[in-house]
Amino acid sequence: MQRVGTQPLLRYATGAFALASFGLIFLMLLFLVVYAYPAIRFNGTAFFTSPIWNIGNQYGSATVTRAGFTAQAGASFGSLVFVSGTLLSSFLAMIVAVPLSLLVALAIVYRVPAALKPLANAVVELMAGVPSVVYGLWGMIVLVPFIGNRLSPTGNGDGLLAAAMILALMVVPIMVATTRDVVQAQQASIYEASMALGSTSWQAVTRAVLPSVRSGIAGSVLLAFGRALGETMAVLMVCGAAINTLPHGIFSPINTIAAVIVSQLESALTDASGMAQRSLGELALALFVITLIVNAVARIVLHGGDRSGAVG
Amino acid sequence: MRARRFAFVVLVSVALASCAPAAGTVRLLETGSTLLYPLMNLWVAAYQREHNDIEITTQGTGSGTGISQAISGVAQIGASDAYMPDAAMQEHPMLNIPLAISAQVIAYNLPGLSGAHLHLSGPLLAAIYGGRLEYWDDPRILAANAALRGRLPHHTIVAVRRSDGSGDTFIFTQYLSDTTPSWRSGPGFGTTVSWPASSTVGANGNPGVLQTCEDAPYSIGYIGISFMDQVNGAHLGYAALRNRSGAYVLPTVQAIAAAAAALVSATPRDERISLIDAPGAGSYPIINYEYAIVSAHQPTTQMKRALAAFLGWTISASGGQRPAFLDAVHFIALPASIARLSRDQVGRITSP
Amino acid sequence: MKVRAVTRWTSHFWWAVSIAALGFIIAILLSIFAFVIVHGAPALRPALFTPVTSGVAGGLANAIAGTLLLVSIGLVIAGAVGIGTALWVVEYAPQWAARAVRYMIDVLAGVPSIVVGYFLYVALVEVLGWGFSLVAGALSLAIFVLPYVERSADIALTNVPRELREGSVAMGARQGVTMLSIDLPYAIPGILTGLLVAIGIGLGETAPLIYTAGWSNYLPTLAPTHSPVGYLTYVVWTYISQPFAASHALAYAAATLLMVFVFATNLVARSFVEYRFSGRGGR
Repeated sequence: MQRVGTQPLLRYATGAFALASFGLIFLMLLFLVVYAYPAIRFNGTAFFTSPIWNIGNQYGSATVTRAGFTAQAGASFGSLVFVSGTLLSSFLAMIVAVPLSLLVALAIVYRVPAALKPLANAVVELMAGVPSVVYGLWGMIVLVPFIGNRLSPTGNGDGLLAAAMILALMVVPIMVATTRDVVQAQQASIYEASMALGSTSWQAVTRAVLPSVRSGIAGSVLLAFGRALGETMAVLMVCGAAINTLPHGIFSPINTIAAVIVSQLESALTDASGMAQRSLGELALALFVITLIVNAVARIVLHGGDRSGAVG
Repeated sequence: MRARRFAFVVLVSVALASCAPAAGTVRLLETGSTLLYPLMNLWVAAYQREHNDIEITTQGTGSGTGISQAISGVAQIGASDAYMPDAAMQEHPMLNIPLAISAQVIAYNLPGLSGAHLHLSGPLLAAIYGGRLEYWDDPRILAANAALRGRLPHHTIVAVRRSDGSGDTFIFTQYLSDTTPSWRSGPGFGTTVSWPASSTVGANGNPGVLQTCEDAPYSIGYIGISFMDQVNGAHLGYAALRNRSGAYVLPTVQAIAAAAAALVSATPRDERISLIDAPGAGSYPIINYEYAIVSAHQPTTQMKRALAAFLGWTISASGGQRPAFLDAVHFIALPASIARLSRDQVGRITSP
Repeated sequence: MKVRAVTRWTSHFWWAVSIAALGFIIAILLSIFAFVIVHGAPALRPALFTPVTSGVAGGLANAIAGTLLLVSIGLVIAGAVGIGTALWVVEYAPQWAARAVRYMIDVLAGVPSIVVGYFLYVALVEVLGWGFSLVAGALSLAIFVLPYVERSADIALTNVPRELREGSVAMGARQGVTMLSIDLPYAIPGILTGLLVAIGIGLGETAPLIYTAGWSNYLPTLAPTHSPVGYLTYVVWTYISQPFAASHALAYAAATLLMVFVFATNLVARSFVEYRFSGRGGR
């Protein structure tokens, strides 16, 4: 990077913004750790191993104290159901969404006539603009009954499949938009050179163009996966909100960390000991850590941590 | 092009400019119970028409949020389906003021049987939601429904519950706790409970439960009585519940009023009492007070006056207790002596 | 060289599949639109825009004004911070620092909006005592869309052809000048795409706003704190749970409006991009 006559003002101004973006995470992380500390101590390892979530008896006067921290009698804060539901639904969503988005993006770049391209792009951006509560409503009234009546053996459609399908639809526009842009930004020469060597157009795309924008696509997959892990409202409306029951099939009700935080926040506020709220804080922290791990793993898988070209 | 961008800027500016508040207006914030929210909206809209020096914002955020934000002072009125627990009261003494009486229906989707009212009891519901009673033609259900013998299907019961924290869950589980010792010592009651590990399905909000029951045959769910019209519209059946006297009672206006009347004398001065499973042969067992959780100490005289005037209006027979409001959500008016207790509590709101 | 027939058929097949995939998402989008508009039809009248929300239904003036206000302020904050960050990362930062900042932005993208909302609720609404407010709501939106803005700006700036930049520097331009006069204009279509995605996400966000902006039945005051703000997603989320048909219609009408807003901003910005940058930057 050239340093010829760098203007200090611009440099420091943009640097300050970068520092803010960088520091924000630590601020939130620090806040969550401090906030959730009593829960981390109180819950111990049971937080990771127990499938039981119980805020205890709000209307009894009995309390229970562990590691110096107090909660309502009968309280147990295990995250296993929520963590497994989060990972399962997001993975399943990505299995559907990644190929779908690639196909759609390629169709838009290479097959939609130039005159119709703005229309196709509008469809993608419109899809990104559908509020998650609307996806949730549509899922609840259109998708869930379909799954319940046509596919599910019990007649109940709320659960893993419904949550994953809604998530897939929600992340598709994000991946399509990024994939389309990176493929489009790639010099046409790669495609043309491959064609000149005798490839079919599909081979030119899959063997020459896509590999050259691999990191850009991987980046968009990461973004989408992050969005899926944390998606709240739509999942909440179709997941069946499992509690104390681990996922045991594609139709089984599940729950996700984000959905639990929003659906249980209100009840947690009734816990006079405050431990339920802090345990939700610990759940948020867990989701944070999961995202960190996902990012780290994905980075190792790609180019050993290099984001060179910085497309992704 | 430019014109369109300009139009957007103008739109935003107009939106900004139109925000100037009227001077001398008192602003109140009501937040909390989603069960009381529809009625609160009707009340505020009507009250506003007569009083233009007050602005009351209403938010349906859930009872727990209502209580917590009334305590923290973010909201002046915290709406709650449940009275505050003793532990919370010791830490933050607040006024718990009943504004109306609500009830709950147990709805089910049994093809061909929606016209018939099943007889159900606390222990039967506890067994269903506890995963210990799986089929509609279980002998325990048949025992209470001799008339339906042979018509109940051998099909798994899909038990639908709320996924969000909810006053509906609170009063439903309170009914189970009060009638079934094993439920009391197990999941207990609250706006959310640790449901036994069985295949209950969680749905969001009353409409979610309604929708799930409508979609899934052989399902059962508990739904706030404000959704009575929708329950009928969806051709769901609803149960007659066994009360303390052993009678099976439907959620009629008379049965709810009878239950409320039965507990008038038991209601203490601070009005924190459960109305679940009231005595009396004609009493419907799942009813509750809808509370306004209010701090007794308001920051300004103006605020205190406005708050007391509005709350006083909601509980007056010529104001908020008129059938025009209550009937829309199938709520029941406070009995006169309870309205008096509530008025006393409103009178206890002070300012420096 | 001659392509074998089988290979050519494979190619045709996969292109057909990709067109079908595009058709599939168009069908889903149409289904969602039809679903929302059919249900919202009873409330989609001119009277929707003038009164505020009240009673069983009313209008949406407060929610429309609030949504525009929250998203505008949130976007200004996220735009400044996001584009500034991207400029620093691409133009100034040593590689290790660029990598660290990008990594954190990726992580930020994975933080669920409800966590951001809850963080700001405790920090701003309760600890600082600002109450439900414009600032808290706009900040939660800004934080949530920041990664999308930064990433698209980052990608767009990185993709500025080396020759352009080096040419400018070779001719004696200082880096700051090159950055503002060559890189930024070249990257604008990409940056705008990111901002569009951000608007879409911001408009549709619900979870963090419930605990930060709160909700108001009245037009927003311009007070930065101590005054809750209404927004459209609240109407969708809450009015759908009311026991009245009129409330449901209002909820669907709010959903329709949200989608129309996204569509409109899209059209405006897209035609703007195409008008100013046609024939450049691959668009």
